[in-house]
Amino acid sequence: MSEERRIETAGLNAWFGAKQALFDITMSAEPQSVTALIGPSGCGKSTFIRCLNRLHEEVRGARVEGKVLFDGQDIYAPGTDPVEVRRRIGMVFQRPNPFPTMSVIDNAVAGLRLSGELPRSELRARGEGALQAAGLWEEVKDRLDEPGGRLSGGQQQRLCIARALAVEPEAILMDEPCSALDPASTFRIEELIEELKSQYTVVIVTHNMQQAARVADWTMFMLLGEMVEVGPTNKIFASPDDKRTEDYVTGRFG
Amino acid sequence: MQETRKRFHDELASLEELVLQMGERAQVAVEQAVRALTHRDAALAESVIVGDDSLDATYKDIEARTFNLLATQTPVASDLRLVFAILHTSMHLERVGDQGVNIAKMALATMSLPASPTIVSHLEEMGEVVSSLLHTALEAFASRDAELAVQLESMDEPVDRLNRNMYREVATLADDLQALEWGIRMNVVSRQLERVGDNAVDIGEQVVFLRTGEFTEFSDASHPGPPEGS
Repeated sequence: MSEERRIETAGLNAWFGAKQALFDITMSAEPQSVTALIGPSGCGKSTFIRCLNRLHEEVRGARVEGKVLFDGQDIYAPGTDPVEVRRRIGMVFQRPNPFPTMSVIDNAVAGLRLSGELPRSELRARGEGALQAAGLWEEVKDRLDEPGGRLSGGQQQRLCIARALAVEPEAILMDEPCSALDPASTFRIEELIEELKSQYTVVIVTHNMQQAARVADWTMFMLLGEMVEVGPTNKIFASPDDKRTEDYVTGRFG
Repeated sequence: MQETRKRFHDELASLEELVLQMGERAQVAVEQAVRALTHRDAALAESVIVGDDSLDATYKDIEARTFNLLATQTPVASDLRLVFAILHTSMHLERVGDQGVNIAKMALATMSLPASPTIVSHLEEMGEVVSSLLHTALEAFASRDAELAVQLESMDEPVDRLNRNMYREVATLADDLQALEWGIRMNVVSRQLERVGDNAVDIGEQVVFLRTGEFTEFSDASHPGPPEGS
């Protein structure tokens, strides 16, 4: 496996129309590790993560300046196909969003179907593999043809993770993947994140600071569109360098 | 920006206040125990022994409340370091209280035995130094003064030196059995005072941790530094 699945940003700025949302962010998310983004609502962490696989530009009037390198290549370089970028750098969203009437197995391979024709047997095998990788296989192996919408919320979210994994990405972005889930489902996803990091570069946005503390190797604190501090998670939660980080994680402002 | 965890931070501040008060009481207990010994004051010795129950109760209170904060409030960063430092410091102070009790018991056990003025004056000196060490450690804690805390190590040195020499002083009493019995007990007192000093230095280490997040040990008996003058 490539050791070079590092996501790096250099002088990254982003706008919604005239309003600047990100200011000059330079950081890197290391391969085979989990990087968590924390910060108050509106600090730009979701915007930032959406710049990492070119989803930000899908918003009308939105634009990006600066560099995002993946595997050393600038994903914003002219001629780069954003669809291919998003295949290599997958995303899981806040609310589980399976296709509700589509079967479990078809949900798992929905992204794969879009990316080209594959024989039915191959599709099914890839779907099973993805469900296993997402830690869902044991629970759904006898319900593969049931509608995805019948699964529990936590299962639906793991189904969405399976869908992201089926296209064989190299990095996974997660935008508050547990905020709509109950604690038990949350812990299952967190366990899954721990397993995923052995293969993928993982970047997760979370409002739950304790979740960042539990799952992340690196934590980045953002405020007002700027990166205040990034460091090993235990440092951020034991003795951060910046007073603003300290005040945020200890709840002295929110 | 507004404080979002006021009740938690109020409880933390109240625990810190409690541990600092506990420190003052432990310091007074040691001072009184030494005074009971040197002035042959049995009533004062007994009051130190009885008074230790309240220090123990304070320690249990702090322990339960810090445990509760860890269980329910998930403190982080400087809050977590403060919870940790409060718990450690209260444990050290509980030990200091016990050391005061041990000294008071020795005072009671030696009321009728002949004393050596030299040894008494050395124990008084040790008592004064460890009292000042405790005071300094608590002051450093309250003001988060790591530089002051680091000085505790060298401030403790005279206590260690006097304690190291104590057995020789006791040995000079060997000709008089009653004086020797008194002296052997005073060697125990000396050892207790030396431990009080060590506890004060350990509190200083907590202050450095509180400030920096670094776990330090100013010195380690099993790995002594280079000999003086080298």
